[in-house]
Amino acid sequence: MRRTRQIIDYALTYGLWIVVAAITLLPVWWMIVVSARSRVELFNAPDLIIRSFYVQNYTDVINNRTFQGYMINSIIISTANAVLVTVLALMATYALSRYKLVGSDNIFFTTLTQRMAPPAAFLLPLFLLFTQLFAVGEGRSRWDLYDSHLGLILLYCVFNLPFAIWLLKGIIDAIPPELDEAAFVDGANTFHVITRIILPLAAPGLAVTLILSWIFAWNEYLFAATLTAFEARTITTGLAEFVTVTGTNWGAMAAVSTLTLIPSVIVVIFAQRYIIAGLTFGAVKD
Amino acid sequence: MMSEPKQERRHFLPIYTNAFDRVFISIVVLVALHLLWMRFLEAFLPLEVATIISIILGFLIIRYG
Amino acid sequence: MRRNRVGWLLLSPTLIILFLVGIVPFIYVLYVGFFEWNLFSSDRAMNFVGVNNYRRLVFDERFLDALWVTIRFTFFAVISQLVIGFFLAQSLLKNFPGKVLFRIVHTLPLMIAPISIGAIWRLLTIPGFGPIPFLLQNWFNIDYNIGRNADQAFLTIILMDIWHWTPFVTLTLLAGLSALPAEPREAAMVDGANSWQIFRYVTLPLMRPIILTVLFIRIMDALRTVDEINMLSNGGGPGTATRTLGIHIFRVVFPQTDYGYGSAMSLLTLYFTIVICWLLFVSLTQLRGSRGNDGGER
Repeated sequence: MRRTRQIIDYALTYGLWIVVAAITLLPVWWMIVVSARSRVELFNAPDLIIRSFYVQNYTDVINNRTFQGYMINSIIISTANAVLVTVLALMATYALSRYKLVGSDNIFFTTLTQRMAPPAAFLLPLFLLFTQLFAVGEGRSRWDLYDSHLGLILLYCVFNLPFAIWLLKGIIDAIPPELDEAAFVDGANTFHVITRIILPLAAPGLAVTLILSWIFAWNEYLFAATLTAFEARTITTGLAEFVTVTGTNWGAMAAVSTLTLIPSVIVVIFAQRYIIAGLTFGAVKD
Repeated sequence: MMSEPKQERRHFLPIYTNAFDRVFISIVVLVALHLLWMRFLEAFLPLEVATIISIILGFLIIRYG
Repeated sequence: MRRNRVGWLLLSPTLIILFLVGIVPFIYVLYVGFFEWNLFSSDRAMNFVGVNNYRRLVFDERFLDALWVTIRFTFFAVISQLVIGFFLAQSLLKNFPGKVLFRIVHTLPLMIAPISIGAIWRLLTIPGFGPIPFLLQNWFNIDYNIGRNADQAFLTIILMDIWHWTPFVTLTLLAGLSALPAEPREAAMVDGANSWQIFRYVTLPLMRPIILTVLFIRIMDALRTVDEINMLSNGGGPGTATRTLGIHIFRVVFPQTDYGYGSAMSLLTLYFTIVICWLLFVSLTQLRGSRGNDGGER
């Protein structure tokens, strides 16, 4: 009796999770199927088997100069942002964790608000700021943050820094302060303490911060679409352009989308355990 | 009354608040009142009435809330 | 004293960036919001108009409509995610072979770029070759076209959000559920409670803080959603059926270059978000038991 119950229980759990996995994977698989179809095959009845792989969707995109530019921009911006965020967050978290700073609780809460603020509310303010306020010079030698890599890198810090600080806080707090006290007694300065003691001990947490900041910057679309024109466009804006400009080329669009997906899949496979801690700002440990 | 950290207290507002919270609530009330006033009441009463009401309300909240 | 200065020094780059790119825009926008200013109109100067921009805003049907769409979307999406997520988390509590694999697959949507998710769902639902309209037509004889039918479009964006974010709810609640102490549940079982009673009177009260945390994060994120809806419904169509506040600003207000009015709207959007964020935060911290006298936990 008990045994049959257990078997039914197992069967139900498996059934449920196979359905869930199918619901998750089939839409992604369908995208890959579309990316493997030529324009002619596109309107065939939907099926899930790839009969012939139409590689041209991919090669066309990859050999496209504009798209190469987008790809490189995305890589530059995400990488620079991730490194900057990790370094700054390490410094900030060390300060918040080890020093009694007046108002540090409020700093903590303010960073959370900034992460929660709707990006759409930032669009116009930042556009005005990037084109009007943070601008040097006039006429042709005019320089502003609009359509620059630096603009986007700094901007993504606003959303990634709070998350990184919240994530790292628990990790740095867990490193016993006696360790750095001992180093200070031996005559080390703060820079040495951070690089020689904190850095190695917090390395796994820093790696997670780096990876997740990277993927968040890689995935961002709204700001990249409104605060760039040509020079600093990213791959996500390229994806949206496929729909609006070339309209009907669904195969190429699916190919770009598949390419955009690759880093996400890698992150999910290797950093799966830390994603929830990252998305809940370290509030929930898995 | 227990003395909470940061002088939190609870009078007529339904939650424990400190000075910062009460200023914040006053500003939220001020904005909300003005927006609703402009939508529904400005045809009959000028907006200044809303300003006066919300300043009085803000004072009450900050002082006694 | 000296060491505190080092602390502030370490914190300063972060604070400077957050201040310059995160706070200065809003101070600027607070100022611009009181002016009529359009760089591409005949009169490029800023004219002070007082609260007129806000007066226009409270009567702007399209703005209020977008606000209403956003609230409806958030409500339905988050409630469904919470129910489904709780159910899935319960089922992940026991061990079974292959669980790790299912978890990895389940986590995947969380890391996909929102714009890609929009693209994926667009490919699924596009009339002509998408499988969803095809199957609905052939199996149930339902005419599914999110380019025309407003209700279907709205339902689709909710389904997409469920697909995207339920894993987050599942995994967070799972972390909470596995951290629960076993004793209360065992005690209730000894007392002869059935599984529904255990869930209702033991698990749910113990899970309240984590459920509130999940709700907090999910609601704030759902209110922000722009990318995937914009991609799926091509800017909030049909009509304004799926035009959330974010899309309204992005697709309608931003291109109009009506900076004074747009500033007022951005600020008001931020106002709504902060009020909701604060209400949730208060309910999160004050319900979590700074008072032990309301019988919440015993």
